[in-house]
Amino acid sequence: MVENQAAKTAEDDVKILAFLCNWCSYAGADLAGVSRFQYPPNVLDVRVMCTGTISPYFVIKAFQEGIDGVLIAGCHIGDCHYLKGNYMTAKRFGVLREALKFMGLEEGRLRLEWVSAAEGEKYAEVIRSFTEEVKALGPSPLRKRRGVSREAVGS
Amino acid sequence: MPDKENIYRLVPSTCVYCGTGCGVLLESMDGCLTGVLPQKDHPVSVGSLCIKGWSCHEFVHAPNRLTAPMIRRDGELVETDWETALEAVAEGIDRARGDGGPDAVGFFASARCTNEENYLLQKFARAVVATNNIDHCARL
Amino acid sequence: MSELAEIIKEKLRDGADAFLCLRDCEGTVIPALISAGDEIELDGVQVGSLRYPLEKILARLQERYPDKRFAVLARGCDERAMIELAKLEQLDLDRVVMVGVACSAGEAEACGCDRPYPGEIVLGERAEPAPSRGIIDEVESLTPSERLEWWKEQFSRCIKCYGCRNICPMCFCKECALEDPKLVEPGVIPPESPSFHVIRALDMAGRCIDCGLCEEACPAEIPLRSLYRKMREIMEESLGYRAGESVEEKNPLSFLGSEEDIEKLEQED
Repeated sequence: MVENQAAKTAEDDVKILAFLCNWCSYAGADLAGVSRFQYPPNVLDVRVMCTGTISPYFVIKAFQEGIDGVLIAGCHIGDCHYLKGNYMTAKRFGVLREALKFMGLEEGRLRLEWVSAAEGEKYAEVIRSFTEEVKALGPSPLRKRRGVSREAVGS
Repeated sequence: MPDKENIYRLVPSTCVYCGTGCGVLLESMDGCLTGVLPQKDHPVSVGSLCIKGWSCHEFVHAPNRLTAPMIRRDGELVETDWETALEAVAEGIDRARGDGGPDAVGFFASARCTNEENYLLQKFARAVVATNNIDHCARL
Repeated sequence: MSELAEIIKEKLRDGADAFLCLRDCEGTVIPALISAGDEIELDGVQVGSLRYPLEKILARLQERYPDKRFAVLARGCDERAMIELAKLEQLDLDRVVMVGVACSAGEAEACGCDRPYPGEIVLGERAEPAPSRGIIDEVESLTPSERLEWWKEQFSRCIKCYGCRNICPMCFCKECALEDPKLVEPGVIPPESPSFHVIRALDMAGRCIDCGLCEEACPAEIPLRSLYRKMREIMEESLGYRAGESVEEKNPLSFLGSEEDIEKLEQED
């Protein structure tokens, strides 16, 4: 149902994978929901204990499987539950983003944000702006032919 | 240190897996075959190998590799010595040849054997048994 | 007796248990281990014009013989590899005697090497660095979608021989991400583009010492060296780290870094 409503055109039908850290961003997303802030339904959440556990392989795998955008969200620098996990993420992220850029994946498809447990509003805003950005870029060029059947059916 | 000959040695050889004949350097450590490197100046492969070449040492010390001939007795494979095994083979070939002529016998050679061994097998098939029924698992 | 043979004799006399060098063997120059008392083997020893991952062999020899000292021929790239391997706990530099070999100007040019000599040169003359960016400039002039296509064409030739990993002096993991069926589907050739090669490229970030053996070993002529060289550039630009340059400097992807680095990041947030 939700997917059909969101998928008016192929450009709108973008899928975003969001890796959320358990202690801050997942709670932030929860707060956004409880507070009834509106944000687009294109996001698939993956809860991880810390953004530091996110291997760059996960992101590559997601893109290879046809995800249009990947968001990594964790605690603000200095607030990490494990003290310095997000600091390692920040370093790793820079390298990953540059590598994917060199490969020809648009920079806007990958984003790192710090969202605390109290920032429900910010989480909704991040999802809104990121979804807009990914929609503007259109479906990922690596996407497998997911849309073919829909076009063939003509709906 | 053990026998110094055996500590580490690279031996130039030819990959046995197919007819291309890429140059490999077989690496032995403590007298065991442990790895492969491509031979950089080999006229055929010029320092490259395919996945088979890169792992062509693995079967040598493989735990499930047959190290003695096996013979089937009452439906069970049992280890035997070469004399008994070759006798059984000779008898079998003789019987098949007597019943159905030379073309009733077929030979299948292995890429894991050397070129010379394979040459000998085809010679045996063609000149002794008088059949062209010989094939090889990596025929190119 | 050649200059190298004299040096080998000297090192073996001065406490090295064996010397890893290159030697003529049936007409081809390949790595060989010379132990004390092998004078007869010294005949064919040479620096050689073709490179083999000596440090990779050395790391395994050290693991097998933890109480022995090995001497080894070291070009600029070999030295970088050994330094980086030591930082990754794969090699004990205290038990290594390096005999520095400077590459000739022609070799440096052909390699596009930015440091074709080790810290201490024993053999050869120091040649000027001849840094090259390979195909990096060409790729960077393309639009994102063109880049993706360009790489796809390159990677479509991959026969998944794993030669780039097997020959790489910096690849030593017992379990390799490229053999994980969840990341790389087994039995599919060519592998998925670009994930297979991006996984390897990312693992090369902060590790690749730019020896170029990967590209030499690639039967499909994929410009791997340029790809990993770009990862080197990225590491230098974003984290200020060049693999294999100094023994003391820690790899920022393995270590947390200084308090100042963390403060800098806090201010950016």
